[in-house]
Order: sequence, then structure tokens, then C-alpha cells
Amino acid sequence: MTECVETDVAVIGGGVTGVGVLRDLALRGIRAVLIEKGDLGHGTSTRNHGLLHSGCRYAVRDPEAAIESYHENLILKRIVPGSIERTDGLFVKLPEDTDSYAEKWLASCKNLGIPVTEVALEQAFKEEPFLNRKAQAVFVVPDGAIDDFTLLIDTAEDAKRHGAHVLTYHEVTDLMIDQGRVSGLICSDTTSGKQTEIHAPIVVNAAGPWEGKIAKLAGIHFEIINNKGMLVVFSHRFNKHVINRLRMPSDGDIFVPAHDVTIFGTTGKNVRDPEDFSLNRAELDDMLAQGRALIPTIREMRLIRAYAGSRPLYQAHAASGSSGRDVTRGMALIDHEARDGIAGLISITGGKLTTFRLMAEKTVDLICEKMGINVACTTDQIPLPDRRSEAFLRQEQLAPAAKNKLFHWAGTHTAEIKTRLKATQAGQVLCECEQVTWAEIEAAIPKQGPFNLGDIRRRTRLGMGPCQGTFCQFRAAALAGEKGVTSCHEADQAICRSIRERQKGMAIVATGETAKQLQLMDAIYKVSLGFQKEEKAHV
Amino acid sequence: MLEWHVLNETFEKCLKCNACVANCPITANTLAFGGPKHLGPERARLVENQNPIDDKRIEYCTLCGTCDRSCPENVPVSTLMAYAKMRHQEQTGSSFRDFVLSNAELVGKMASGFAPITNLAMRTKPVRIVMEKVMHMAAERHFPAYRFKNFNRTFASSEAKAAEIHIPKLSKRKVAYFVGCYASYNAPEVADSFMQVMRFNGISVLKPKQKCCGIPMLANGRMKQAAKNAAYNCEQLLTYVHQGYDIVATCTSCSLALKKEYRSLLQSDAAKELSAHVYDASEYLRMLQENGEFNENLAPVEQTAGYHAPCHMRAQAMGSPSLDILEMIPGYSIQDLGEGCCGQCGTFGFKKEKYAVSLQLGKRMAESVHALGAETTVTECGMCKNQLDQLTDKPVRHPLQILAASYQKAAAHAPTAARI
Repeated sequence: MTECVETDVAVIGGGVTGVGVLRDLALRGIRAVLIEKGDLGHGTSTRNHGLLHSGCRYAVRDPEAAIESYHENLILKRIVPGSIERTDGLFVKLPEDTDSYAEKWLASCKNLGIPVTEVALEQAFKEEPFLNRKAQAVFVVPDGAIDDFTLLIDTAEDAKRHGAHVLTYHEVTDLMIDQGRVSGLICSDTTSGKQTEIHAPIVVNAAGPWEGKIAKLAGIHFEIINNKGMLVVFSHRFNKHVINRLRMPSDGDIFVPAHDVTIFGTTGKNVRDPEDFSLNRAELDDMLAQGRALIPTIREMRLIRAYAGSRPLYQAHAASGSSGRDVTRGMALIDHEARDGIAGLISITGGKLTTFRLMAEKTVDLICEKMGINVACTTDQIPLPDRRSEAFLRQEQLAPAAKNKLFHWAGTHTAEIKTRLKATQAGQVLCECEQVTWAEIEAAIPKQGPFNLGDIRRRTRLGMGPCQGTFCQFRAAALAGEKGVTSCHEADQAICRSIRERQKGMAIVATGETAKQLQLMDAIYKVSLGFQKEEKAHV
Repeated sequence: MLEWHVLNETFEKCLKCNACVANCPITANTLAFGGPKHLGPERARLVENQNPIDDKRIEYCTLCGTCDRSCPENVPVSTLMAYAKMRHQEQTGSSFRDFVLSNAELVGKMASGFAPITNLAMRTKPVRIVMEKVMHMAAERHFPAYRFKNFNRTFASSEAKAAEIHIPKLSKRKVAYFVGCYASYNAPEVADSFMQVMRFNGISVLKPKQKCCGIPMLANGRMKQAAKNAAYNCEQLLTYVHQGYDIVATCTSCSLALKKEYRSLLQSDAAKELSAHVYDASEYLRMLQENGEFNENLAPVEQTAGYHAPCHMRAQAMGSPSLDILEMIPGYSIQDLGEGCCGQCGTFGFKKEKYAVSLQLGKRMAESVHALGAETTVTECGMCKNQLDQLTDKPVRHPLQILAASYQKAAAHAPTAARI
């Protein structure tokens, strides 16, 4: 039996753009439903650097994207305080970087009004001891570190609080088009196969790299350049600031401190398949060789994993041979009524994590225009609930590090976690690398979709540390089975899936300690616990 | 002093395998301790370039070094723990008690100066009750006695006495003796024995200027003070090393400090150089034996003994040199008790809030002593002796005391042989 849902706007894609649009719609009082085929952000929005751009990176080549980034940077610092760390960024000029670029860059930043201050080299080396001592000049810019996981989940939660609906693990199978006008879509539950019809006069295609596929359902040719970038995670946070290289943006020149780790990247390679998250050893080696210029000891530091994601870039006249670096990072809002004669269908793509809010604002402005209503955007004014919560600082039964984690992380779950902490051993740390307690996991398990350790990971950092879940994934799944959160069979499947996913990211960087870690993980799961390959995946 | 980032590559080797946790004597006895993995490498990673996290539970770490030995990846867990202790001490300050306990040398000087009175006072119940109330020192805990005639006062006579021993041939070796606080103020007889054993091996001994090795300070988070002492000792002892002296200690905590802790505390070439010339007394004798320089004229000692290996001896990864040496004494039957930590753990066992854990830790050792039923117990560590004295009724000796007795007996029975 097919379920029918009536709404004003259907948003396809649970990435940061999609949830941004959803929240904006909700805040303007427009009914909306978001459809995502996996978990929120499983595709692109959690496969990035987590860099809150100051705009400086694009100051020379793409001033428009630069100024957009800077303005959004200021707004986001105000409205999502809990997901942003004001680390500031450094731009480092090395001897091999040209003076002319540095001059152009300084002039452009000044012109755009982005504050740039030079710091004494001595001071920079003191604060960033791993920085190349050959650096000739260091500038501080207002970059930041943004937690894409919490940003995404908090934005979706806030949208829900304002009346929006989110359907995860639902894949769009068809668009309903009637006489050149979109009237909704059909989606199916990826677990049960159950179909749902969503009737909406407006459909927003915010599926990122998958937007071409969605457009195809409407019979439209709409090409997105899927520019795949690879990133690596270091086992600990070795820098205080974002570290950029002062040269024309290229591969392997940004180090971002993200909670307890440092993320380094990236590369750019166009791929056809949006699901292509493949990792390439040669690409990794090239990138690390580039990174050595900024951090000379990069090869001696432990890498814990690598991952890849595709930037959905849009060029009105896409040249397929493009490397991706010279395509604008600016956003593209496409009204398919004007472009292809399909009314009610809007695509929003391009842009950056930093500019997601602005992309949503522009999209919803267009929707309002189409709906003939006049409500102003408030997402630049109304902050998201803060992640930080002092409630835990006085919890006696919690270890200080776990307390600290909850203080920075609990957010709107504070009350629930506090209640759950009263249960025996709920305050025990399951994931030691990232200090995740059972109470926190229980509060974070999504209500929709199959039991999935990846979903818990994105919401709690479970298994994101150096051991990559060697110990905690089993603990979490076993407890979930024991407490009746899921069936033992499902828990087993979740472990198999998650181990495969973790090991894929580890294998590519598996030298030294990480190679040993991988062996230990194999020994524990495949030998001691006897886990075999999972059954045919249904997720 | 060591900067944090120098330690980066050390904690990132941790595979989270829990070998340190499984072997940690404190973790095995109390849940109040967070364990070496968490408070060592894990915590270090979580605070790197982020806000500090102060964890009071670090006070439970005794810096015994068992974690270091059990780590398959050679993570210097105890060094990371020492840093965590320092951070904790910086945040919360030292209590008066911890200040006193960590100043073993100062206390030794003062207490031995008024030795009969201090010893009497420490055995007086009301005094101890007041001390527990005011200073949080466990009232039931026995204290080692202090000697008015401490080794600083008796060194000259001890040297003269040793010089009376006639030996056939003087060795080319010269030893600078790191006495340590315990042998100085509580057990000068151990130092005497050392002087004699060295003399029996034809080796002349001098006592360089020295300060407390710093281990009690390190254990109480006073790392800066420990580093000061380390720098002083390192400079003093190196001048002797440069003159061809070997540095020998009878206290295994002192030798561990000189060999290992100074290297991480000072991060200097000097500390590295020094460490290559430091020996535990038994280790030194075993080395002499291996080189054919050891005086094997040992008289039989008909005695059974159980050997307790101190944690800081084991942390030096040198086997059991005391067993190797004592087994050469004819008729002497010594067996390893095979137990782990004694529970005294230096200053740890004196603290009121740690006392119960300390006793619980010592229980297995005491049972083992009882089960073996030997006449004496042998151990190098004065603090292990303190726990053994409190929990067992067997006399406790330093290995060099046994060795000295055997040499003396041999010299007395065959005076002519010794004089050749």
C-alpha cells in the first residue's frame, strides 16, 4: 500500500544544502518534507575538510565566492556557535610560492574587506611547532573549523522542531510530472521497499552529486561535475589553527584541526559515478608529498584513515576535461521552469559548506516568489541551539574526559542524556578514543532506518579515533542488542558493515601503527569473535 | 623541560590494546583509578592543542612503570602519566602532606636529626591520629625508622671500616655511590654493606654530592622540582663519569631515575650520557661476574629466603640480578616470590585515602611470603621493605646485606687467603 503525504515543498537530499533549505522553509512557515536515501550527510556533506572558509582561499581566483564565504563565515559563527571552533587560519608563504601571488592575494583580501594580519614568524612557529621553518611569511585570517556532522544534524533537528519532516533511508524513485509541472515524487523505503508518494507543488533537487540522476527522472539533462577529493585524518590534533598555503589553490594544501584530529587534503579528480568514493594510493602519496612543504614531518605522523567525497560543481557550459579547480565555488540556483520548461522543479548546487545557509536562503526566496508569498529569511538571525551544555560538569559519576566530551557535544540531547545517565553503567565510556558513553549513544540512535553504527558514529564520534572502532563498535552493538534497541542479528550485520567501512579507510593508509591496528582489528573481529562477511547488504 | 609536542609521536603509537590496563597493579585493585591507557596516551591525545582536562584520578598512579613494560608498542606510558600528574598538580596545587612526602630528603635530614624523638612520635597513637586528621596520613601505616647516625654522618667511618678489609688486588674500577635517601637516613646498614661488598671486590667507592633522585617528587606531580634535582645530580655525577667512575645505586628507584627518568625530564645529551654509566648494585656485581672480575670467595650462608622484585627494579628490564648474585652463595636458598607490586609504592601507601588500596595490593605479596615459609625476605627497595615489615613477620634484607655477610664470614674463616 502506498502512503501519501501532502506538503508544500519536497526537498531531495539530506546533505547540508538540503537540511539548510528545509530549516529555512520551516522558519518561514512553509510545510516541507526532506527525502534522503541514506543517513543525513552520508554522501558529500560529511566527506569534506570541515573548513569554515574565511574566503581568503578564493580571494584571487574567485572573488565572488570569497566574499560570499566571508559574509557567511561571520553569520555562521553567530548562529551555529556549537558546531564551529574559532581556530583562525594561517596562510603560510613558502620560498617556492611566488611573491606576486602573495601580493595579489593581500591586495584582493584588502579589497574584499577580509581582515588579514601578518604574524611574526617566531610567534607562528611557537604556536605551530610542526610548521616548516623555511616559511617566509605567515598571515592570520578568520578561518574556522566546522563540525559538519553536528551542523547537519542540528539543522535538521531544528527544522523538525519548526514543523518540517525528514524521511531518511528513502530513495526517490520517480518524479510526478503532469503537463510540464512537477506535482510531487515517489520514494521507497530502502529497507522495506514500502512506497511513499509525496505530493508537493515544488520539488527542490539538492542531491549534490546525485542531482543529475534526479534531473533525469524529469527527463532533463543536467550535468554536475563530480569533483572527487581525497582527505586523510591524522591520529591527533597537531595544529591549533587551520593551516593554508599561500599560493594558487591546489592539492594538499590545507590542514584543519577537527576536535581531536587533524584533517588534511585535498585532491580534485572528476568522476562519473556519484557513489565513487574510491581511494587511490598514488593520489594519496602525491597529496602527502605536497603537504610536506607545509609540515615537513608529515610522513612520520600517524594517519588513521582516508576518505573521499565529491564536490558537486556546476558550470553552465561544463567542459568535461576540466580539473575542477578552475570551476567556480559559487552556487548555482537553477529554475527548471526557465531552463527546461518543467515548472516547480528547482536545483541548487555548487557552493560550499561555508555558504550552505546562503544557498538555502536564495533557494527559498525563489520558492516564495513562486508561491507568491512574502516572508523574509531569518536563518541569519535565529541561532541553532548551542551544542555546549554545562549541565554535565557537575556529574560526579562521569570521568572528566567524558564530561568534557558531553559538555561540547550534548546539545539538545542534554536532558535525555542526563536521564539516561542515571541507569547503571550508562556513564561508562564505550569509545575510549572519543570518550563516548552509552547514554550518549542511546540518545543519538536515529528513529528511522536500520540499526547502523555509521549513523551513531556521525552523531557521537563513536569509532572515529585512532583505533577506528577496534573495541567500541562491538561494545556498542552488543549493548544495543542486550538493551533491546535492535535484534542481535541486526547488530551483527551492523558490525560487519561498519568494520568493512572502517577498514576500507584504514587500509589505504595502513603503514606503521595503522597497519598494526588493522591487524588487531582483524584478529579481534574475524578470528576471536568469528564475524564473517555480512549478508547481502540491503542498505 | 620537555615540551608537550616532543611527546607527540609517543602517544600516537598506542593501539588501545589494553595490555597496560590488564597489567596495571592499581587497576586490578580499585575502580577509582582510570587506568594507564586512559590517563596516559589517551588523555594526552584528547588535550593536545585543546583545553586541558584535569583528572584527579591520576593521583592513584604510583609511576611503578608496569605499563611501560607491558606495552607492545613501547609507548612511554608512565612518562605520560608523570606529565598528567604535573598538570594536575599545577591545577590544584600540592597539599601540605604531598609536599612533605615528596621531600624525602628534607624530611630525612630533619627526622634523623631528632631521630629518637621522631621515631617515638611516629609510633605514638595520639600523634598519628592528629597526623591523620591534619595531614591525611594513614594512622595505621608503619613508618620506617630514622637514624640519628645517618650515612652522611657515618660515611667516613664506614669508608675507614671498609678499608680495613684486606684484598689481594685492587680493581681498576672506581665507583661513585648514589646512596639515595632511604639508605642515607633510614638504612645506613645497607650503605655500609655496599661499601664492604665493593671493597671485597677491590673497588674503591666515593660518595659524590647528591640530592634526592626526584622519584617522590615525580610521583606527587612536582615535576619542576624533580627536574631541578635531576639537573643537579646529572651535573655532579657526570663529572665523575668523565673521570672514569661508574655510578652505582643500591636503591632501584634511584637507579631507575638516573637511567630513565632523567632522560625524559632533561631531554639532554648529558642525561643520555649519564644513563649509560648507571648500574643497580646487583646489576653491577653481575656484570663484574660476567667479566671475570667478581670475587667469588663467598662463605656458605645456610638460610632460606624469598625474593620480592620491586617494580622499579623490573622497570629496568635487566632480569633479576640480585637472584643471579645471591644464588652464587653456597647453601643460600632463594626463591622468587613471583608477586607483583607490594602496594606501598613509595609515598602512595602513607596517604590516608590510598591506604586501603595499598594494603589490598600488599595482601597477595604477604600471602606469598607466608606460603613460601622462608626464613627471610630479600628485596632491594626500602619502601617494599616497609610494606613487608608491616604485613609479614619475616625479617627483610637488602641483597647486599646478605652478600656482605657472606664475604665477611669467608674473610673471618680464611684470613690468610684473604690477605694474599
